[in-house]
Amino acid sequence: MAVVLIRMRLALLRNSLRGDRASWFVLGTGAGLVLAVGTIVVAVLWPSLLPAALAVWLMGWVFGPIFTGGGEVLRPEYFAMIPATPRRMAAALLAGAFASPAVLTTLVALISMVVYGWRFGPLAVLVALAAAMITLVTMVLISRVTVAVFGLLVRSRAAAVLAAFVTGTILALSGNGWALAVAAATADLSLAGTLVRLLPSGWGIAAIESSPPVALGILAASALAVVLLVSAWGALLSRRVTSAARGGVPARRRGPRPFPVVRGMHVVAAKELRTWSRDLIRVHLLSFAFFYAVVFTLLPVSFGWWGMVPFTGLIAVMMGAGASANLYATDGTALWLTLMTPGAERHDVRGRQLAWLLAVGPAAALLSVAGAAASGETWAWPWVAGLFPAVLGGAAGLVVLIAVTSPVPATDPHKRGSNPLNSGADEGGETGLAWLMLIAVPVTALPAAAAILIEPWAGVPVGVVTGALCAWGFGRIAVRRLTSGGTELLTLMKHGSAAGPAAREEETSAPDLPLGHRTAIIVCYCLAWLPLFPQGLVPMFFKLFGVQDRVWFLALYMPDAWQWPTITFMVSVGLLMYGYAILFPMRYKAAETERA
Amino acid sequence: MTTHEAPALRVTGLRKVFGDRAAVEQVHLSVPAGSFYGLVGPNGAGKTTTLAMAVGLLRPDAGRAQIFGVDVWKDTVRAKSLIGVLPDGHGMPERLTGREVLTYLGLLRGMAPQTVAERTEELLQVLELDTAERTLVIEYSTGMRKKIGLAVALLHAPRLLVLDEPFEAIDPVSAVTIRTILRRFVEGGGSVVISSHVMALVEGICDHVGVISGGRVVAEGRLDEVRRSRSLEDAFVELVGARAGGVEGLSWLSS
Repeated sequence: MAVVLIRMRLALLRNSLRGDRASWFVLGTGAGLVLAVGTIVVAVLWPSLLPAALAVWLMGWVFGPIFTGGGEVLRPEYFAMIPATPRRMAAALLAGAFASPAVLTTLVALISMVVYGWRFGPLAVLVALAAAMITLVTMVLISRVTVAVFGLLVRSRAAAVLAAFVTGTILALSGNGWALAVAAATADLSLAGTLVRLLPSGWGIAAIESSPPVALGILAASALAVVLLVSAWGALLSRRVTSAARGGVPARRRGPRPFPVVRGMHVVAAKELRTWSRDLIRVHLLSFAFFYAVVFTLLPVSFGWWGMVPFTGLIAVMMGAGASANLYATDGTALWLTLMTPGAERHDVRGRQLAWLLAVGPAAALLSVAGAAASGETWAWPWVAGLFPAVLGGAAGLVVLIAVTSPVPATDPHKRGSNPLNSGADEGGETGLAWLMLIAVPVTALPAAAAILIEPWAGVPVGVVTGALCAWGFGRIAVRRLTSGGTELLTLMKHGSAAGPAAREEETSAPDLPLGHRTAIIVCYCLAWLPLFPQGLVPMFFKLFGVQDRVWFLALYMPDAWQWPTITFMVSVGLLMYGYAILFPMRYKAAETERA
Repeated sequence: MTTHEAPALRVTGLRKVFGDRAAVEQVHLSVPAGSFYGLVGPNGAGKTTTLAMAVGLLRPDAGRAQIFGVDVWKDTVRAKSLIGVLPDGHGMPERLTGREVLTYLGLLRGMAPQTVAERTEELLQVLELDTAERTLVIEYSTGMRKKIGLAVALLHAPRLLVLDEPFEAIDPVSAVTIRTILRRFVEGGGSVVISSHVMALVEGICDHVGVISGGRVVAEGRLDEVRRSRSLEDAFVELVGARAGGVEGLSWLSS
């Protein structure tokens, strides 16, 4: 049975390697191999850091599946009706789980243990070989058990929030993780060295460093841990397969509070607020925005820089806007009710805006005040006070505008698959929308920023006015678009983007782009912000306004004569990357269409 | 309610193309006011597409749709205030309970709160949805989804009901309830259009039928005119020109 499952897993992998997935796959495996070789390099050059590097791999196995939403290719539910004992099924599924590129790259990374063992003599190499195998199995098993536990919790708000915490932390680390490196360079690491050896990823290292009898003991104990993990996993699996699915709805203990008797947009807002708290996807998206903002701004505090903390609320609003950009599409075809109710379009747009403001605004305002107060950065107060209303209003306008004008079709909520955090929308398209928001929302705050530069507290009235204007004006355009094109929007939700020529243009990446370009486009989308914003525009503002802090901006570390050229270079690189990622698919598609 | 001069629903020359396939081609239908009209056809014949275009949920490539003489695509708001619709397989406000859905839509339509509360209570009771007070619509079974959809269509007391496959996945007891509700609606002067591929059902409740096949209407009129002395099923098979299969192959199934 194990062989059959390994074959099935490989077949699924082969079949899934089409279109965008293929480029993600190439990119992911490539990055994994680079990291694996990097781990071996660590073992050669900085052996004392190897346990920490291995701990990172373990974290990857634990949090990766939560981050990507399950990570199960062979779902136990597929085999629920196969007549086999749970233990046999678990063993076979485990074998199937090993037929994966992630396991192969981890195996490459674990060669570093053998390299490490080399320093301690031939016997240690043998220990290292055994330990590497056990570590690999342990990592895969811990990952499976995490997924299984998560699967039991998954239809609860707690799990949605936990997943949001993981996603938010990982993305915040990818943006501001450098801060930890700066902090580590100055801190005392002896305690950390013990700690990483206590993690399952460090047991092998501990065994290699020990005398032979102790090493054998550690290996035996790790093998026992593997056995325990297998049986725990088997038990969790059989529980999961026989428990009822609940379609992404948190369990309810009591009856709902009565629906308020209100009119017009307030009715829609009441419905929307209930949806924000009852739909796990929305719970997940909003908590993600807040976790991201908090972790992102707190990371530099690790080396004593509080400069980002006052802006936690602002970042939360922007991430919240990015996460809500597909607001209409995630409701799917429920739009028909708005269309069939005479004159409901305006109430629908305004109600959604109101609910969004209520869901994001108060918490973000609280974070802003708390952040500004806690940081002790007094210069930040006028910035926060002026930019917050501008950004909040701008986001409230842009959320509905973008949701109506460029939705990425998602699966209807009642037809969603077993992962309650997956809306079924094309992920590339949704990410594109989020980026669009992250660029467009700050633009709406430019007038307020300009006012603050001229006269610090003038930003507040300007921010309030532009915020209100944006919320009202963009909302108005959204109402018009929904009234005139609501039917087309519904058709797009029902039949997907294949339904009409207008809809087809919405797709961000054409399925017929060559693999190399598609991969490059994803890389550009993911990384272009780095040169453009933190390395380009932000140091530019720092220079313009004479901020002395150099933080981590390359340009400010350069000799004076090179600072402006570096900033210009970084901005152009960022713009070029965005330009390529956005324009190339369009031009390519146009050329293809002409040829056809 | 007095019957109107204009037909309850009239569509002329409706056409819709998806990609390079015409789902509906030149469909003409006329539903007399006060009639119980059944639109029948095999799977994929274009029933759902036709009804979606007739009520204003899908923009046709050509043709017109009028409800009591009001053009659906020109005087949209007035047309929509006259009809109640149950589309097939569309979403609902999934994260609300049944009661919340009806309250929400009633208030959104600007109905008086008192009326909304009373009708909601009655509809939930009659359709036996009042036992599931804590259940969100997304957790409803297929049959319950149909029932809450029907309640939504009835809530504002429309003059014409357009129901796509209203009896699909409905249990026999509820089916009787719904048939009774719809009959009473017609007796009270309302008009009903349903689509179905269950001939016996249409034969049992409808007084007018339209047969649609391959995106075209192949017969329309009073039930007796269309079926003439045969059963509707025989008439249908003849009209659609299909051959019933299932006689050959699968010999291994007999043990």
